[in-house]
Amino acid sequence: MSSSVSRKRLRELLVKQEEKRGYLIAFEGPDGSGKTTQRKLFKSWLESEGHEVVTSKWNSSPLIKPLVKARKAAHSLSPEEFCLLHAADFRYRLETVILPELWGGKMVIADRYVFTALARDAARGLELDWILNAYAPLFWPDVVFYFSVSPETSGKRIAATRSPKFYEAGQDVTDLEDPFVSYQKFISRCIQEYEALAKIFQFVTVDAEQSIYDQHKLIRKLFQQGRRRSLAEWNFDAVLDWRENVLASPEVRLA
Amino acid sequence: MPEGRLIALEGNGPELRVMAKRLAKSQGGGVSAWDASSIFFEMRRPDREVPAPSPRTLVLLYAADLAFRLRWEIRPALAEDQVVIAAPYVESAIAFGRAAGLPHRWLANLFQFAAKPSACYWMKSQTGGAAWMGKPSAGFLEFCCAFLNSGAPLWDSQALREKVRSYAESLERRRGCRILDDADSSL
Repeated sequence: MSSSVSRKRLRELLVKQEEKRGYLIAFEGPDGSGKTTQRKLFKSWLESEGHEVVTSKWNSSPLIKPLVKARKAAHSLSPEEFCLLHAADFRYRLETVILPELWGGKMVIADRYVFTALARDAARGLELDWILNAYAPLFWPDVVFYFSVSPETSGKRIAATRSPKFYEAGQDVTDLEDPFVSYQKFISRCIQEYEALAKIFQFVTVDAEQSIYDQHKLIRKLFQQGRRRSLAEWNFDAVLDWRENVLASPEVRLA
Repeated sequence: MPEGRLIALEGNGPELRVMAKRLAKSQGGGVSAWDASSIFFEMRRPDREVPAPSPRTLVLLYAADLAFRLRWEIRPALAEDQVVIAAPYVESAIAFGRAAGLPHRWLANLFQFAAKPSACYWMKSQTGGAAWMGKPSAGFLEFCCAFLNSGAPLWDSQALREKVRSYAESLERRRGCRILDDADSSL
């Protein structure tokens, strides 16, 4: 099949699939912003509304997570390796969980998405264009909820429960021995990157200093007001890449 | 500042390892081999319950391994004015990516972090039927063929190898590398 024919057929397929597919909702924000709490509440609410919901967490693929975990424990990752291994984990989850579930009509909640990598890896000094390329072709979520907190609040919330881990505290790039001091410095850089990304990519910003219930009410309302992003318009290349290179058998490709 | 010499030796299979050792001996240098970070070794026993990674994922993992090799093997040796034979280096991954249909621009941008070699050779590989073919330990391309075929049979390993060979030939025509065979004694 020629490339132009397959592109045309995919476009038709995407239009047909648009109403049947689920939504992709990304929860983003620094550590300690309360996004996991909100993600759980939101998932329960979606289920109570009759949706089937799947959650995909950051760095959680069964194939690549063990590799990352071992190297994090050994403190052996450079910023490039950190970025590339997370990009591989993300691509694997996108191709094997997120896209198939969305295509099948389920709601997918991503607890952290590409923007986590953009914020953290840029805070580690990598160039944004290179990071974006590692994650290309990008599949845009229908909505990105960004939980905005100050570096101080993030630091306080983390310190209340535990000591930040080596990479979480950015100790690989700050060279600071005290994880709390390093965390404060690194999270400030991450938040700066997040704030810029929120503007560029038009995140739905939630003031994460509000009460848990107020945030939850707001998210529900914003979600109901939002509309899905057209696959053909926003995500053509990512879906084409998935269907051409990943799907299980040739007969389902563009069939 | 002292500066050594980086020689890329691209290709696949045991011939690559043999030639890398020969080159290192003749040039008085060391070899940086695929999977020094053991990322691929740790993935060698794939859980059959999980889907196989796509070519794009495999290339990202190759890039992560190469970043490790550059940090711990290649750059330190170059800084000490030594000769390093990187076997394989960037072009083998690009060839595999192109064979699997990934865009050249994406691949080239991904490997931007890698130092440019002062020479690039490509070890001519066997045409088919060798005992090592399809074994994950035989090199990046064979690892990929083995993994891609652990899922549904979407990928034709022989066709991938042929496309990689065509890429090498085209690279040679563009003067991006020189193809060697195991009898080559000019180096």
